[in-house]
Amino acid sequence: MLSGLIQILFFQSLGELISKLLLPSLPGPVIGLVFLLGWLMLKKEINPSLALVSDALSRYLGLLFVPAAVGVVLFLPQLKENAVPILCALLGSVVLTITGTALVLNMLHQAKDSHDET
Amino acid sequence: MMRPNSIVEIWVYLSASPLLALFITLVAYQIGLWAYQKTKHNPLVNPVAIAVILVATCIELFDMPYEKYFQGAQFIHFLLGSATVALAIPIYRGIGSLKHRVIPILAALLTGGAISIVSSVGISALLGADQNIVGAFYSKSVTAPIAMGIAERIGTSPTLTAIFAVCTGILGAILAPYILNFFKIKPLWQRGFSIGVAAHGIGASRAFSVSAQAGTYASLAMGLHGILGSILIPFIYKWFN
Repeated sequence: MLSGLIQILFFQSLGELISKLLLPSLPGPVIGLVFLLGWLMLKKEINPSLALVSDALSRYLGLLFVPAAVGVVLFLPQLKENAVPILCALLGSVVLTITGTALVLNMLHQAKDSHDET
Repeated sequence: MMRPNSIVEIWVYLSASPLLALFITLVAYQIGLWAYQKTKHNPLVNPVAIAVILVATCIELFDMPYEKYFQGAQFIHFLLGSATVALAIPIYRGIGSLKHRVIPILAALLTGGAISIVSSVGISALLGADQNIVGAFYSKSVTAPIAMGIAERIGTSPTLTAIFAVCTGILGAILAPYILNFFKIKPLWQRGFSIGVAAHGIGASRAFSVSAQAGTYASLAMGLHGILGSILIPFIYKWFN
């Protein structure tokens, strides 16, 4: 467990460092993610300790953005005023995004081959 | 004889230390999770939404300013970065099944990402939403931890972005089965991937409850969308502003 946490924090720090020095437009944790992914692909395995920490973090991912999301209290009056455009934008974009993604996937896949349906 | 006073003192001590904020947050989320499990994972009973409502009500009752709450809860908030790094593991697990599907998947990802930005930013701007609200829509289809990171970089509100991301996830998880059935999309991996692109983590957990394959593809989509989004969204934002 501890060694998994150390690995995550190592890649997170590496990401922050690169973000600060070289790539300020990318969030540090995302750079860390890419490096960790590259590292896993090189090693071709996930050690159990890392898997344990990662599964725990993704299991409670929702909890982690509660503190920031509670900030909604600061925006309540503004959200109420803009309720109609917000609801339309959320609803419209969800429907269109799912539709667009699924149709592209379906068309390109059928165009290529269709014998490997699983 | 000193009781009222000492209660005040304890209260002052508690609300000055991170203890109270951490405690409220964890209890609220636990209640949310419990309700979610009790309703057999109904996407409407989202644990994050429940926790946010409970915590917001609590700090209102305690008359605790948000800044003070956040000071205490920032220990939880800090882990968002670590959780983002840890998304490498689900991507790695899903990437093996990607091989011969690279082109359809990349094309679908780019199309889905573009549609989500253009439609949400376009609709909200057309209907006259405030500037900062329109701005928060840019990264809302990306998984919340990454979406907030992007929002910080491009100077839009991470809080609004997180709220919109959670709402998007809930809506996507509810609507996806109907939309996909309507268009007769049958293969589970296509269904999973589409849900992951549009509704990130909340959609992925819904996909996992249907099938492991759909869930794996949904997590893969969520992770790849996060990486691609953080590279491209800053450019798109600059272009439109």
